[in-house]
Amino acid sequence: MSTITRRSTLHRKEQRVALIFVALPVIGFAVFTIFPLLFSVYASFTEWNGISAPVFTGLANFQAMMVDPYFWQAMWNTLFLMIGIPIGLSLSLLLALALNRKMRGTTFFRTVYYVPVISSIAAVAILWQWAFNGDFGLINQALAMIGIDGPNWLANTATVKPAIIIMSVWKGMGYSMLLYLAALQSVPRHLYEAASLDGAGVLQQFRNVTLPMLRPVTFFLVVTSIIGGSQIFIEINIMTPGGGPEFASASIVWYIWQKAFNYLQMGYATSMSLVLGLIVFAVTAIQFRLNRRNQFSID
Amino acid sequence: MKSRFKTGIVAAVAAAGLLLSGCGPAATGAGGETLTFMFRGGADEKAAYTKAIGEFEKANDVKVNMIVTTPDDYSTKLKAAIAGKKVPDVFYVDPGSVQAYVKTGVVKNISEFVEGSDSIDLDNIWQYGVDSYRFDGKLMGQGDIYALPKDVGPFSFGYNKTMFDEAGIPLPSADTPYTFDEFVDVAKKLTKDTNADGKLDQWGTGLNVQWNLQPFVWSNGADWLNQDRSKVTVDTPEFAESLQWFADLQNVAKVTPSVGEAQTLDTYQRWMQGQIGFFPVGPWDVSTYEKLPFEWDLIPYPAGSTGKSATWTGTLGIAVSNSSKAPEKAVELAKFLSANETAQQSLVDAGVQIPNLIDMSDQWVKDSTTKPANKQEFLDIVKDYGRGLPANSTYSAEWYDELFKNIQPVLDGKKTAAQYLKEAQPKMQKYLDQANQAAGIG
Repeated sequence: MSTITRRSTLHRKEQRVALIFVALPVIGFAVFTIFPLLFSVYASFTEWNGISAPVFTGLANFQAMMVDPYFWQAMWNTLFLMIGIPIGLSLSLLLALALNRKMRGTTFFRTVYYVPVISSIAAVAILWQWAFNGDFGLINQALAMIGIDGPNWLANTATVKPAIIIMSVWKGMGYSMLLYLAALQSVPRHLYEAASLDGAGVLQQFRNVTLPMLRPVTFFLVVTSIIGGSQIFIEINIMTPGGGPEFASASIVWYIWQKAFNYLQMGYATSMSLVLGLIVFAVTAIQFRLNRRNQFSID
Repeated sequence: MKSRFKTGIVAAVAAAGLLLSGCGPAATGAGGETLTFMFRGGADEKAAYTKAIGEFEKANDVKVNMIVTTPDDYSTKLKAAIAGKKVPDVFYVDPGSVQAYVKTGVVKNISEFVEGSDSIDLDNIWQYGVDSYRFDGKLMGQGDIYALPKDVGPFSFGYNKTMFDEAGIPLPSADTPYTFDEFVDVAKKLTKDTNADGKLDQWGTGLNVQWNLQPFVWSNGADWLNQDRSKVTVDTPEFAESLQWFADLQNVAKVTPSVGEAQTLDTYQRWMQGQIGFFPVGPWDVSTYEKLPFEWDLIPYPAGSTGKSATWTGTLGIAVSNSSKAPEKAVELAKFLSANETAQQSLVDAGVQIPNLIDMSDQWVKDSTTKPANKQEFLDIVKDYGRGLPANSTYSAEWYDELFKNIQPVLDGKKTAAQYLKEAQPKMQKYLDQANQAAGIG
């Protein structure tokens, strides 16, 4: 009897301590995530300048959004810039395949391709802004050597988006490459052996062994790239400070930021963020569903 | 057992700390009060203010914490401070933000402290500078004072004297502005291929529309807004004429680097390399331009149909927070920063601004050892013909920025100015109505 009481006192005490430890992250989550989230849902139904108290206006922000041409253009620009994702992924897979072979200098090249990833995005954006300069830029100097008269990349509606895509592909390639490399090295050798015994050629092995085995990494990269891509901001703000020629490179987050901090329309900006958040959530949910349907196991 | 008790305490303290962090009041210095001063700028500003603030601390028995940010970060950081209810006691505002900050009660009405005060002589500070921060609840430029000018920045026009001498063209007059036609004629003479390689390497001018359109619009008798800033007036023939003339400098007169070469960065660099005849000059450029390998000086902007030169004068103000715990000391600091001779002298010596004080400028303008020779032009702008940028008088600049957002086809000669302005006016009007409504003064 007495042992049981003692144990339960101990048990209760330990539980109390445990609860306090558990409370830490829970309180943090509530204060820094749940509360701002709920507040932003509320703020998106208000007219709010970010300084004084918000005034409830119902659906007015969402109605305004529907007829705001810059909202739609910023959405379209953001979507367009995501063309860089498949390009970047294919290139980084190619690189990973190349660097996965046993040859001299692979470590060197892996480092070289990874350097952009660890560089500050702001510094990199400034360097690319110079590289894209119409007159003195490195890119046009290189093009001039092969006789092409390059455009003024960032000042031209037709070239500003491709310019930013080129830059972001370059910046993100090392990261995807590294993940692909790790995945390639964990593909079991015996699968290739079995495939070649069955008479599969190199291409068939790639299609039927390598690609399926890389699927989880590809899935992860696609999901995170789309989430990251929908929030592209720093590159835009530094390389094309006014949203680019005729608003051609303004991303949705850039537009939200401008509305919130330059034009004192925090309520409207919040409602746009909410819509963006819901879209990203929906797209990610769809991706997870599709992925589950295509799942398979080698066991 | 003991150690378990300890871990419990640690966890509890950590949890409490998590909740409390960020809510604590700022510690005050022993004895006197503490003020925070938030501003933006480079090394020159910081050096000038550090020295001046040292003097102020000694004289007023108060400690001043300086928070300096880069120009880009300033507005975001200030808004975060305001949202977090930690408004600095003294901070920079630009005229365009005054209405919003007055309406939301962030800045203090300092009229009673500065008008007729012993510690500052408003008559010795440029009237334009002080008036830029007056607001009567409806219109800017009149009523109570909400900030004191940190500086006034007359955006003047310069020319490359060496280029004129080499071309044997008579120098422009410092008193009579060129007409639009005369300016184009001279610019054409300056635009040429100097090394006979078949490519132009010297141009009359190369201007950025966002910062240089105003002088030509105003001197042509047009403006962005009507008197009570309720209507956007960019769709007048005078406005269209000046914008068309501006675009034609590139497309018709061909006196600027071509479309592909027209980014400001490039014309700025070309000017510094001596390839551009006429280029804008602000006081903040002087320290850089002093080192240029050619002679340059200031002239009035070419004038349109009114025959009178016009341009804008920038300014930044020093405001006091309404929630300051030591409002009197904070106001004293604002006055001190605006009108202290040591601080002003050090900023002027650094070549980043002209003196805020009228008596000091009278000395400065006579100094013939420093560039530019025609310093009087800067003063004339501040005193006579400089105006505030159009968005200064409104609650938000969105309507104003709209004009420049889609203007490229006009500059490229693919659309006429008149047609573009006709399309832009209703859009700008809509944003202006929104801004006036948000300000509660529609």
